[in-house]
Amino acid sequence: MSYRPTLTPTWWLKNSAFKIYMVRELTALPLLFFLLCLVMGLYSLSQGAEQWLAWLAVMQNPLVLLINALAFVSSLFHAWTFFQLFPRVMPIRLGGTTLPAAVLIAGQWVGVFVVFALVAWLFWG
Amino acid sequence: MQQNKKLKRSDEPIWWGLFSGGGVCFAVFLPSVIFFYGLLLPLELVTLDYQQASQWFFSFWGLVFVGAVIILPAFHSLHRIRHALYDVKFQQKTLIKWLTMGFAALLSLASLLIWVLGL
Repeated sequence: MSYRPTLTPTWWLKNSAFKIYMVRELTALPLLFFLLCLVMGLYSLSQGAEQWLAWLAVMQNPLVLLINALAFVSSLFHAWTFFQLFPRVMPIRLGGTTLPAAVLIAGQWVGVFVVFALVAWLFWG
Repeated sequence: MQQNKKLKRSDEPIWWGLFSGGGVCFAVFLPSVIFFYGLLLPLELVTLDYQQASQWFFSFWGLVFVGAVIILPAFHSLHRIRHALYDVKFQQKTLIKWLTMGFAALLSLASLLIWVLGL
């Protein structure tokens, strides 16, 4: 006889916090799909202009676009959850006072927008 | 018997480190990268011709791109998939670890190889 509790494969369906946890875990799937697209794109880039255009055509497939749109939403959802962890894992103290979590979270979103501006500048600048 | 068992150094810090680093990259870099390269570029709302793209990628910046946008996020993603599989009670833990971390390593090697050969 063991007193160790056993979990069923569907344990996470019983509580909405566990479901959100699973949704966050699943943000990994559309991300992986986008990464595969990207590696394929880099390969086609190395193969010449014709292959590059063929890759762009694959990226225009509505299903591919849909999954990549999902990946975009996933990345923002992930960012939202991940940024809340940082002040808890690594509280920053300045001059004897701990910086409020909200400041650290806002700082990280500023980082996201800086990167956005940088990529936008690469395209439009 | 307990004394005879050698304590093996855990390799988990490596996977955890790659996962955390990838988590930062996924949150900070990937939203913009997916938005521009995955959505705006295919929708022809921005343009990027072949010459420009290959010149940019097959330079030092391409290596930064491979590290921050492919390798670390790949380890992040497959670490999550690995643990999600444990969470839904798949029993073959060693096999899952080899498959997921192996896949991430393969993607990393492939993208590094593409970059090196294209230089």
